[in-house]
Amino acid sequence: MADDITRLDGKVAWVTGSGRGMGRGHAIVLAERGADIVVHDVLEDEAAETVAAVKKLGRRVFVSHADVSDVAAVKKTADDAIAALGRIDILVNNAGIGQHKPLEEISEADFDRMFDIHVKGSFFCGQAVMPGMKERRWGKIINIASIWAMTGAGINKASHYCAAKAALLGLTKAWAKELAPFNIHVNAVSPGGVLTEMPIKIQGWDMIREKEKKVPLGRWAKPEEVSYTVAFLASRESDFITGQMISPNGGETIVGF
Amino acid sequence: MDNPPNSLAGKVALITGAGDGMGRQHAILMAERGADVVINDVNAAGAEETASLVRALNRRAHVEVCDVADVAAIRRMVGNAISTLGRIDILVNNAGFGRRQQTWDIGEGDFDLMFDVHVKGSFFCAQAVLPGMKERRWGKIINISSIWGMTAAAVSPHYCAAKAALLGATKAWAREFAPWNIHVNAVAPGGVLSGGPLKFYTKEQLAAREAAVPLKRYCDPREISYAVAFLASPAADFITGQVLSPNGGEVIVGI
Repeated sequence: MADDITRLDGKVAWVTGSGRGMGRGHAIVLAERGADIVVHDVLEDEAAETVAAVKKLGRRVFVSHADVSDVAAVKKTADDAIAALGRIDILVNNAGIGQHKPLEEISEADFDRMFDIHVKGSFFCGQAVMPGMKERRWGKIINIASIWAMTGAGINKASHYCAAKAALLGLTKAWAKELAPFNIHVNAVSPGGVLTEMPIKIQGWDMIREKEKKVPLGRWAKPEEVSYTVAFLASRESDFITGQMISPNGGETIVGF
Repeated sequence: MDNPPNSLAGKVALITGAGDGMGRQHAILMAERGADVVINDVNAAGAEETASLVRALNRRAHVEVCDVADVAAIRRMVGNAISTLGRIDILVNNAGFGRRQQTWDIGEGDFDLMFDVHVKGSFFCAQAVLPGMKERRWGKIINISSIWGMTAAAVSPHYCAAKAALLGATKAWAREFAPWNIHVNAVAPGGVLSGGPLKFYTKEQLAAREAAVPLKRYCDPREISYAVAFLASPAADFITGQVLSPNGGEVIVGI
């Protein structure tokens, strides 16, 4: 195929939180395009399913069940994955949690957990993959934020989540500038409504159908639609794109420039 | 195409200003990914050359030589293109030009030409392709803006304003056409080794400008085409009203 620039053959991608939902989707789409995958999730059974799906595509896998908020465990995951698969070229900081609480009910532990997983976890995953990317003078870091980083959560009340996701946008821009001399490209993906198990379980179909009506395109995304954006930002197609955000959101959030 | 969601097989793309530079690269990449292409340009020879490159890829090409500032000509162009290739699924509003002028030196004629080509041309191209997209309930409109539409520059204020206007139209159309599953986005390139930069800068000036970009380079025109082709494909069916800026980190703004 002349047009093989979308392919990821020979690359290794680390997808945090890839045991289920969007993270699993990213792992599968990146594997379909030729990448070997570091499957990383605290949920062992779910991670095993993703591992099986990636192996079925004929790709190599390294699996970790480390908690991304544990800096030492993250470092060990990176070291072991590099020992097993040779390198990490692509990092997708996808691991995350949701929690719906009004401000007055968010405890210090809630706050810390939210920031530790999303921000600290992403930060030290980035730090762990940086040396190899610098050495090879090519790397892709994709931080999964959210439209709520831009708009807040409204009635869903999750101010710690919104702030943590916004922090990821700040980190994206800072790293884009800091790592540009090494040809490492850092971008964010801010999904809108996505039909993964979590919202279906927490919000239920009735609420989701109501919310879909408020999206200009009249629907939420299938999880793989977010993965296509991640895969674009992971490929050489996007080698001149850094410090940017792509928001697959059906037109729900149209802001800034 | 290895990745089905990125394929453009069976689609017809109208690309304005496809007779050279970035527009020609968009045409070639989209043809590589399976699209037939309507090639518009005021430059007949350039348009024909792009058409032969598209045909060499075994895709159909239809050439329409007209000025997008002429609304009647746009309507004829779209009518002819649809009779020849059957439909238009993807519109890339790429036709444009740069003019290095300061505010005091810009006459009404300069101002009108800048806005007529970039804004009015894009506006009425979109209007002309809309009925078919609505009918098929799928369409892609990609407006080519510029980082100068976001940050502006100390020169070419009419160009900066026209490119910003395209961002406004992008967002308005995204909302207006969403009920028909028509997706409207903008691509705002940074430094590209084509057109303006090659024409306006000396080698030394260009090197200095590239050094000021975080990635330390301007890009090949084809790197802009990758962003355009992504937005033109089913892989981007949940993306609308957004601005994608391949700019090497030169402009990092907004949220």
